[in-house]
Amino acid sequence: MTALTCAQARPLVQAYVDGELDTAASLALERHLARCEACRAEHGTLRRLRAAVGAGLTAEPAPAALRRAIGRRLRAERERARPWRLRTRALVAVPAAILVAAAALALAPIAYERLAPGGAEKIVYHVNETTDPATALRNIANHVQSAPGLKAVVVAHNNGIDFLLAGARDKDGEPFAVRVAALKSQGVDFRVCGNTLARREIDPRRVIPAAKLVPSGVAEIGRLQAKEGYAYMRL
Amino acid sequence: MGRDGKCERFERLIVPHLDAAYDLARWLVRDPAVAQEAVQEAYLRAYRFFDSFHGGDGRAWVLAIVRNACFTALDREPPRATFEAFDEECHADTPNGLPPPEEVAMAREAQALVRDAVAGLPEEFREAIVLRELHGLSYKEIAAVTDAPIGTVMSRLARGRTALARRLGAPERKK
Ligand SMILES: [Zn+2]
Repeated sequence: MTALTCAQARPLVQAYVDGELDTAASLALERHLARCEACRAEHGTLRRLRAAVGAGLTAEPAPAALRRAIGRRLRAERERARPWRLRTRALVAVPAAILVAAAALALAPIAYERLAPGGAEKIVYHVNETTDPATALRNIANHVQSAPGLKAVVVAHNNGIDFLLAGARDKDGEPFAVRVAALKSQGVDFRVCGNTLARREIDPRRVIPAAKLVPSGVAEIGRLQAKEGYAYMRL
Repeated sequence: MGRDGKCERFERLIVPHLDAAYDLARWLVRDPAVAQEAVQEAYLRAYRFFDSFHGGDGRAWVLAIVRNACFTALDREPPRATFEAFDEECHADTPNGLPPPEEVAMAREAQALVRDAVAGLPEEFREAIVLRELHGLSYKEIAAVTDAPIGTVMSRLARGRTALARRLGAPERKK
């Protein structure tokens, strides 16, 4: 394969950063980035911009009142669309009031209630030294996206706490703090094991402010499951 | 049976995208009450036209309806998807003066800065950026939602990002 020129490489950088390039084009671009400082700078700038924008923007969930209003309007729409059912039932002389109640029950918008806060899913993620924090954060972000109202707590202990220390970066040199802050703004709680800090003689002030200290990570995981009905997931 | 099936499918495929729908509406019409009204209208419309949804990406499908409802609520036409060349010009001049991301992103005022910068973007850039960065839609999905060719989506993203980088990167240089 012939090497890319800068003019060919530049338009690919954004698609690369967005994960929209196929493997062949990605490889060609990566080769170019490895030896072209200007394009590499462009790539770094775009990545940093994406990280900053991703951390700065938080989605605003639909208010409960909106869910209820939509539920009501859809129910009304369904009832309007099925007079035949009322008529068929009326033939067997069921009192109208019961019919309406039955229809309302049958059509109750279960999904809205399931999505509403209160019935929220609760999960505690366990992060320890065998966890790859970058993958873990990606999985948590996906989970949060697919389960609105999810209550998630990340408990880190042993060497699993390292990504929650100030200045921690992933393999690509991107700071973890940005992703942690983004998840935190979506309601994900991060808790660091105090026993681990003591044992490894780590100054608690090194833990990033977005994460909380708990006396014992293991005890915290147990408490969340036993007392607060959290499901357990090892990452 | 048919109707219950429709109802169940709608709950399963379309209702879960309500948060994304509301969020997009907030970014497009800003006023929360107008946004709620637009989303209600959109969901009712989506339910009525649900027979025309033949599987695939329920999120892109309903977001496109929400987007149209938003422009109806604003009493305006959606931005035209005229052909925009995906030119290099808009890639060449991303400013390089961004501070390291932890400094940009960690500070609370920096978050407000990002929000303001995105809110200040021209509509067609704003919706592309919000769909991409906040909701993680692919180019193809953004193209479906905004009824624009993929080249246009890429160009809008690139220009939107250039504008954002300018605003976020070098505020002190403006003085
Ligand atoms: Zn180059």
